[in-house]
Amino acid sequence: MSLEQGAGAVAVAAIVMYTIFAGADFGGGIWTLLAWGPRKGEQRNALERAIGPVWETNHVWLILLVVTLFVAFPAAYAAIFTALYVPLFIALLGIVARGAAFAFRHYSTSGSGLARLSLRPFSVASVLTPFAFGVTIGAVTGGHIRVDGANVASGAFAGWLEPFSLLCGLIGLLLCALLAAAYMIPRTDGDLQRDFRRRAIASSLALGVVTTAAIPIAHWNARAFADELTIGSVLAVMAATACVGLATLVLLSRGHSTWVPVFAAATAAGVVLSWALAQSPHLITPGLTLQQAAAPDFTVKSFLIALPFGSAILVPSLVLLYFTFSRDVFHDAETPVGEPPAKP
Amino acid sequence: MNTLLSARALMGLSLAFHTVFTPLGIGMPLLLLLAEGVGLKTGDPRYRRLARSWTPVVGLLFAVGAVSGTVISFELGLLWPKFMAYAGGIIGMPFSLEGFAFFTEAIFLAIYIYGWDRLSPLAHWLCSIPLSISAAISAVFVIAANAWMNEPAGFKLVDGKVTDVNPWAAMFNRAWFHEALHGTLASYVTTGFAVAAVYAFLIYRGRGGKQAHLGLKVAMAMAAIAIPLQIVSGDLSARAVATDQPIKFAAMEAQQTTQAGAPLRIGGLPLGSETKYPVEIPKGLSLLGFGNVNATVTGLDSVPPADRPNEPMTHLSFDMMVGSGFAMLFIGAWFWWSWWRRRASFVPGRWLLRAVAAGGVLGFVAIEAGWFVTELGRQPWLVHGYFRTSQGVTDRGGIEVFFALFTLLYIVISAGLVAALIRWPRQADDDDGPPTSARSEGRVDPHVS
Repeated sequence: MSLEQGAGAVAVAAIVMYTIFAGADFGGGIWTLLAWGPRKGEQRNALERAIGPVWETNHVWLILLVVTLFVAFPAAYAAIFTALYVPLFIALLGIVARGAAFAFRHYSTSGSGLARLSLRPFSVASVLTPFAFGVTIGAVTGGHIRVDGANVASGAFAGWLEPFSLLCGLIGLLLCALLAAAYMIPRTDGDLQRDFRRRAIASSLALGVVTTAAIPIAHWNARAFADELTIGSVLAVMAATACVGLATLVLLSRGHSTWVPVFAAATAAGVVLSWALAQSPHLITPGLTLQQAAAPDFTVKSFLIALPFGSAILVPSLVLLYFTFSRDVFHDAETPVGEPPAKP
Repeated sequence: MNTLLSARALMGLSLAFHTVFTPLGIGMPLLLLLAEGVGLKTGDPRYRRLARSWTPVVGLLFAVGAVSGTVISFELGLLWPKFMAYAGGIIGMPFSLEGFAFFTEAIFLAIYIYGWDRLSPLAHWLCSIPLSISAAISAVFVIAANAWMNEPAGFKLVDGKVTDVNPWAAMFNRAWFHEALHGTLASYVTTGFAVAAVYAFLIYRGRGGKQAHLGLKVAMAMAAIAIPLQIVSGDLSARAVATDQPIKFAAMEAQQTTQAGAPLRIGGLPLGSETKYPVEIPKGLSLLGFGNVNATVTGLDSVPPADRPNEPMTHLSFDMMVGSGFAMLFIGAWFWWSWWRRRASFVPGRWLLRAVAAGGVLGFVAIEAGWFVTELGRQPWLVHGYFRTSQGVTDRGGIEVFFALFTLLYIVISAGLVAALIRWPRQADDDDGPPTSARSEGRVDPHVS
């Protein structure tokens, strides 16, 4: 593996982690927006409790992706942020609005005016951001952005308003929705669990339909990308992803709980990996490859050397965090969050 | 507005907003470490209660700080793509290391906030150690990246092409140490005074119980230790800038012409492109900058007008920072002198409380003004001597639309923060309340929507 492929792998790993962790937090916002039925309030409370301790940590995977891009692939960072500044600005507005609104909702007294006012921006921004990121992924893949190194020749609206890009935005939303609903299943029980199970089934079905439809649409609207889909390794990962996705659906419909989050996360990771393999070696199809965008070798090497040292601190800390709060899952099982909260 | 101006306005706005939260994100962990540590050592439960009462505020401010920091990492690309294409490979390293440090900080903060009832008191306190260290280190890394813009190193420019890149030499440039030291100490000063100011205000209004008096002392202890160190580090920075960035130094000190035995100019009126009628202390500037009353100080006129920063803004920001710093030194000394005279029976007087409350504002004034000095004094360069700000800007239009949107968003968030924080004292000043109410933890009782 060359240096730039190593750095590219780090970027893809950051996208996968961001999707399976932060994606679920966005999904929490989506289901907060779509909460309905007799257990509307309970659904929202359960989602908020699940997101609370981890969302900031989950968010940092995005920072890791951004810094990887600008250390190792500065030309791509510059070109992507120039060509796609509109969807990325929208994603950014969503990130700020959502983070602040969630913090207000979470740290203010329940039922206060501020908590109520924050609900809408939190949930709307949770839809906006993953959609904008999905669109961005679709746009760097779709082949409609013209670049010459770090300079962008195509216009401000090129690439991201294409049907294929918008479809990728939808895939982003469905991934988040599936992950959030799936992760909530072992954390809840009774009627509330049934609510989340139904939502997980619906989103996994929709995800299956939309990702399947993405292939003919890519053939029509994102030709260069579609041609890559026939490569053996890409086909293998896509097939494996489809199997894991089906397995998730089976587990869901048979009433299993414990393994549902793992399978849903694997499905999401598979979707991202299929995309990444087909996209490689391009950062922007067709004009910018990993090699063309890479920083000087010494920088990329230094980055890859620093990485294990950083991880040596980071990984045990992450394990400690998730270990400390995974006890919550069992704790919640004793006092299900589905029960009406005690009135103060 | 043209694109350059809107991009600078948006970047400036985003950084100014972020700069309100960063000192607290660096300083609060240390304050928590100190308070909880003293509580563990003395067995006095009031210290632990104090730390616990700060926790939800820290959680809220850290969340806004984290998202406003994300804005910076995006805007570097959205607004300055040409700069990032030029510099990313040279100076990206401290940013990526900062990513790790910040990640660690976020993890331990989550454990800290939600771990009050899940961890033993010792284990909980131990979490505040990596929390404080990672917070300080992430500040050091980000400041090292900024220092490189002032003191570029670690690359060569051959025929307009960047070669011989050494990211480590870029990171450990000539300015990284004094800038990082000054920025980190500033965070401790600002946090100490900000927390003390809240308690001073509560006591002044007659709403402060014993906890408020204790909190005031703990916060003022940190502030009073940090502020003299900060003034010494400021002297170190000024001397380094005098030697390494003479034009920035000239702008800071309103030094129009090159002069031997230059006077120290304080204040003045910004008239046109110059500061007029400052108070002058003969030979003061030569002494402070170079340790020699007859040293020659480079003036702004040694470079063409197009290469000069905005002198009045840089100079007045500099004076505002230094003035606030010395005012805080005075307030800290006054507080502890008053305490020393009475010891056990010390009750802060009305004027002292007013001064401490003002100190809370001065900390933020100093840190924003100091950041103005570094950034405005570097103009018109983005990378000092190599790359102009106007060369780095995006060629995309409509940036002013995003400037308007972000301005609006920041106003709404600020209003929300005020609304959220204004309720905090109610839970902080119940002296006899249970030490572990659900409210004082990170999360609140479940919401019914």
